[in-house]
Amino acid sequence: MTIKLIGKSLSSPTVRVIICLKELGLPYELESPASLQSLKDEDYIANKHPFRKIPVLFDGDFRITESRPICRYLVSKYQDKHNDTILIPNDVHKAGLVDQFISYELSYYDPPISKLIHQEKFSKRLFNKDPDPEVIKQAREEFAKVLDVYEKLLERKEYLNGEYSLADIVHTYYVYGIVTHSDLWDNRPNVKNWWNRLCNRDVIKKSLEETKSFWENNENI
Amino acid sequence: MTNRLIGYSASYPTLRVIICLKELGLPYELEPPASYQSLKNEDFIANKHPFGKMPVLFDGDFRITESRAICRYLASKYQGKHNDTILIPNDVHKAGLVDQFISYELSYYDPPLSKLVYQEKFAKKFFNKDPDPEVIKQAHEELAKVLDVYEKLLEGKEYLNGEYSLADLVLCPGTNYVYGAGHSDLWDNRPNVKNWWSRLCNRDANKKSFEEIKSFWENN
Repeated sequence: MTIKLIGKSLSSPTVRVIICLKELGLPYELESPASLQSLKDEDYIANKHPFRKIPVLFDGDFRITESRPICRYLVSKYQDKHNDTILIPNDVHKAGLVDQFISYELSYYDPPISKLIHQEKFSKRLFNKDPDPEVIKQAREEFAKVLDVYEKLLERKEYLNGEYSLADIVHTYYVYGIVTHSDLWDNRPNVKNWWNRLCNRDVIKKSLEETKSFWENNENI
Repeated sequence: MTNRLIGYSASYPTLRVIICLKELGLPYELEPPASYQSLKNEDFIANKHPFGKMPVLFDGDFRITESRAICRYLASKYQGKHNDTILIPNDVHKAGLVDQFISYELSYYDPPLSKLVYQEKFAKKFFNKDPDPEVIKQAHEELAKVLDVYEKLLEGKEYLNGEYSLADLVLCPGTNYVYGAGHSDLWDNRPNVKNWWSRLCNRDANKKSFEEIKSFWENN
C-alpha cells in the first residue's frame, strides 16, 4: 500500500519527510493541499491536522502528523526493509544521541535560520512585507554562534552521531538560508565538510536541486 | 548504577525528567549547578551541555541532554524493568502517535505556556523584572486556543493517546506552574481538559513532584 503525503514540496518540513521516504526506499504519493487557506477548513482540521499544518502522512488508514515524528515512525517501521540505510541505530544509547541531536536542531539551529529564510524568501512573497535588516542581522549573529557549537560537535566526526542518521537529515532542507549565507558554513571547516558530505548523498542532492530549481523558476510566486 | 541528573527541580524541563525517572521507578541523584551563570562556563559547555542548558543526564558514563530526548531514552532503556509503567507503547503506530503528541506539546502548547511560566514564576524572583501584563494576556489567549484543540483531541479519551504515556507526562510540570499561578480557568473551563488534568494530578509521580516543588517555592 502506498504512502500518501500531504504537503508542498517547497515547504521545508515536507521536504524533510520526502528525504526520509527516499532514503528508506519507500514509494509515496505527494498530494498538495488546494491552498494555504484550505488548511483552515473544518474538514482539514478534523481529518488531517488539528493545528492546520503540513505535512500529514497516511500509511494506509494510519494518520500521523508533525515532520520529525513522521520520520521517526517511518524509520521504526520500515528501516532495513527496502535497503540497508539505517537512520536510527538499534543501540539504545546511539538512538538516544540521534534523538538529542534532533532536539538541538529544533531548539537551537531552526529558530535563527528559519527567521533568515522567512525574511529573505517569504516575507515579501507571502506577506508583502519588506525584509527587516535588523532582524536579519540578529538572526545571522545568533546562527553564527550556533554553528560555532556545531563546529565543535563535528570535530573528528563525519556526521553528527558519527554515522549518517536521521539527525543529519533533519538539518538538510535549509538550502535557501545556506545559499544566501554560505560564508557561515564555508568559514567553519568541520561544518563545511559535513554539509558537502550531505549534499553528495544521492537523495539529498536530488532533493536540493529540485527545491533550488523550483525557486529559480518561481521568483514571482 | 544510579542516574545522575544535573539541573534545578524548579526548572520545569528538569522536573520533566524527574517525573519520568519516578514514573519508571528509577533511583537518581539530583545535582543542581552552582548557579545559572555556571551553565556558560567552558567546563559545563565542554562536558555537560554544548549550548549551556539543563537538564543533563549521566547514566553511568553515558551523557544525554535535552529533556524530551532524555525521557525517550529512559523509557526505551528502562520501561517495564522496575514496574509496569509503559510510557512509549511497543506498537509502532501507537508509539508514532505518542511522538506526534509530544511534538504538539513542543510546537504549540509549550511556547505560550513557557512565556506564562517565565512571567508569573521567574521574572521577578530570579531576574528582578516585573511581569509584563501585555505578554501575559497574549500568551493566555494563545494557550486558550491551543487548549480548545486539546479539548477536541481528548474527546472520548482519558489520555492523549488513550492510555497514559510520555505524551501526557511532558506537559505536566509546566502546566502545574501555570495552573497554580492564576490561570486555572484555562483548564477548568474545558471539561475534557479538566478531567484529564485531574487524572494527571492524581498520579503518584506527579503528586510527589508537585509537592517537592511547592516546598521549594515556599522556602525560597
